[in-house]
Amino acid sequence: MKEKCVIRVALAGNPNTGKTTVFNALTGARQKTGNYAGVTVEKREGKRSYGGVEFTICDLPGTYSLTAYSLDEVIARDFILEEKPDVIIDVLDATNIERNLYLFLQLQELGIPMVGALNIVDQAEAMGIKIDSRKLSTLLGVPLTRTVGTKGIGTDELLDAVIAASQKLIPPDRHIFYGSELESEIEQLTREISTDREFSAKYAPRWLAIKLLEKDANAQEKLIGCRNRELIEKKASASIRAIETHFGRDAEIVVSEQRYAYVHGIIAESVMRSSGNFSATSEWIDRILMNRILGLPLFLLTMWCIFQVTFKFGRYATNLLNIAFAFVTTLVSAAIPAGIIHSLLIDGIIGGLSGVLSFVPQIAILFLCISFLEDTGYMARAAFIMDKFLHLFGLHGQSFMPLMLGFGCSVPAIMASRTLKNPRDRIITILVTPFMTCGAKLVVLVFLAGIFFGKNEGTYVMIIYLIGVVLAFLSSLLLSKTVLRGELTPFVMELPPYRLPTARGIAWHVVDKTGRYLKKAGTVLLAASILIWAMVSFPKLPYEAAGINGHSRTQDELAYSVAGRLGKAIEPFVKPLGFDWKIGISAVTGFAAKEAVVSTLGVLYKVGSEEDQKTTSLKAALLADKTFNPLVAFVLMLFTLIVPPCIAALSIIRAEIGWKWLGFAVIYMLSLAWVLCFATYQVGRLAGWGI
Amino acid sequence: MVIVIINETVDLQVRHEEIMETIVSLDMLKKGERFRINRVTHVREIGKKLADMGFTKGVEGLVVRFALLHDPIEIRILGYNVTIRRAEAAGINVEKISAVLPAVVTQKGKR
Repeated sequence: MKEKCVIRVALAGNPNTGKTTVFNALTGARQKTGNYAGVTVEKREGKRSYGGVEFTICDLPGTYSLTAYSLDEVIARDFILEEKPDVIIDVLDATNIERNLYLFLQLQELGIPMVGALNIVDQAEAMGIKIDSRKLSTLLGVPLTRTVGTKGIGTDELLDAVIAASQKLIPPDRHIFYGSELESEIEQLTREISTDREFSAKYAPRWLAIKLLEKDANAQEKLIGCRNRELIEKKASASIRAIETHFGRDAEIVVSEQRYAYVHGIIAESVMRSSGNFSATSEWIDRILMNRILGLPLFLLTMWCIFQVTFKFGRYATNLLNIAFAFVTTLVSAAIPAGIIHSLLIDGIIGGLSGVLSFVPQIAILFLCISFLEDTGYMARAAFIMDKFLHLFGLHGQSFMPLMLGFGCSVPAIMASRTLKNPRDRIITILVTPFMTCGAKLVVLVFLAGIFFGKNEGTYVMIIYLIGVVLAFLSSLLLSKTVLRGELTPFVMELPPYRLPTARGIAWHVVDKTGRYLKKAGTVLLAASILIWAMVSFPKLPYEAAGINGHSRTQDELAYSVAGRLGKAIEPFVKPLGFDWKIGISAVTGFAAKEAVVSTLGVLYKVGSEEDQKTTSLKAALLADKTFNPLVAFVLMLFTLIVPPCIAALSIIRAEIGWKWLGFAVIYMLSLAWVLCFATYQVGRLAGWGI
Repeated sequence: MVIVIINETVDLQVRHEEIMETIVSLDMLKKGERFRINRVTHVREIGKKLADMGFTKGVEGLVVRFALLHDPIEIRILGYNVTIRRAEAAGINVEKISAVLPAVVTQKGKR
């Protein structure tokens, strides 16, 4: 018998089966996370030494099936096909055994030795579901161990079973019987595929045959590598026709039905149920939380609480961070003489770092809340409550959370869109989230409205908020009908019974999400803030040329810098919107952070340098300026709302959906901003609004 | 629930025979009504997803509740709860059953 020192294990299973708790129980703290190649689906790997063997365990995405329709399912099966792990552990939820066995049988077809972990047996027994695991194990032809992942029970037995399974060189030739009509077609196809030895060594022929009968697009692609591809394709279409005539149904559906029929047969022999086996606690909670009338207000209340906690508490933590950074700044100021290095360190690096870190408290608190709601099972309910309304605009029930968080800050909001499983829904949600007026944009809006609209400032800020919401919904409708059109995706979603989350699971989520933000967006954000610092600081105006013509030094220096020149260069483009080059510069610096629009205007119109006088004097300066009038101020508010968000948000968009969609977002928002502002300004000017 | 069983066990057999004939789409059912799936008419992604989640011929289920505007619908099948949109339910043909049975498949419905 061959002795292996390393066993590679793939951990598979349905979502909500406690798969992650089993993974944690197996690997302890020895985990790392990454992405599957080319996609943003999270990949968790862990290690474990046991019985003189080193295990590497890969936690596959939780799936219900292994079709080509869902990204998670393709990733799970491709991992098994390409990486060929030594053993697959399938975590089976004992409270929900039928649907779990349905996946099990499909995994078994991939031709890798398997071990079943019958999880949550304690709850199943409390619910009156008795599983004869010895009988079930014989029927399935694989070893089964009973586990309770949350308590770490059964992990040693599970690893023993994995070692035993890995030592059997030939996987047990056990598979389901699909009924004589299907089996004869499967057999013929399998024989045809097997003639190409090299190809059939890579992909289990029987699995591929079944997938071809299921019209699986991904399996058809794989067939390109096969020598007698044309023959197989012809045979497959003939088989599909034969099956569809015989059963009078779509071949894809027939395969699923036969598989479930087989599962029902196994269940009938190995599972005993007393009636009413459903979690009574969940039932009661849902009577209140999912009540037709109460459900919505309770959901909105929950969201409001999360919003308050995230941004209120987040602000305290951010303030503490700022105090720490101010302290570091004074230290640096004292140590290094004024000059370029001083300015780079303080305005570029420390400024950038504090910008990066200021999001950390919000992200940590937010993901504490989100993973709590997700792990309890409430998120799926929230999607149920909100879906009808959001679906009208091409969004998904779960888009609500990111959109609402967008009112606080786009960075955590965009990260929150991870709860959306379908890539299309996720992309749309991310693209429209920046239209929700964030806290930093609010600073600009309040500043401008306060100066130009006096008593009505609240009304005008509200108008901008509403325009943002309308733009978000109309944009998603537009995107879902054009660029992101596609077949309607199913909203078939499990509502798992409520479960108490484990502290460990939540802590892991928080640390992982925050780490991801720092690694993926933080680095880009830091680089960008140094770049913007350089744009504002260089080239340096000769000392004697600054501060003449009644301008202040900083004013002249800013105008002379790259940012200032850029502002002047874009003046022709912003002129039709009623803006001049000063507003152009503000728009450029606004990319660093939206609040920078105010401070840049402050520099450009600087009259006095005293902090407390600044607003009043700036107000007087803006009111005195001929370019500015209430109409221009309103257009600038609108412009601030629609233009691409700050660098932080842009870098998180890139981290989540890539450069291509980031480019699309920037172009879309810039053109939308220009067109709407142009229309508003020109119409307003003709109508004589606010002039 | 228990009272219902006592009332209805007597004519259970008769009822079953009658109702076998009336096939309706799942979205026509009311809250609390039970059904047995006859056929899923959706194809491709939606059809396959429904089949994967257990919406197959002969499986029994229960309409648990509706969202505010009667859409989506919460269904219990195979001992778990799942939500589907009204449009998806419209493509699932079912027969109503009045017997209070646990939502598991019966041998009768199997092929």
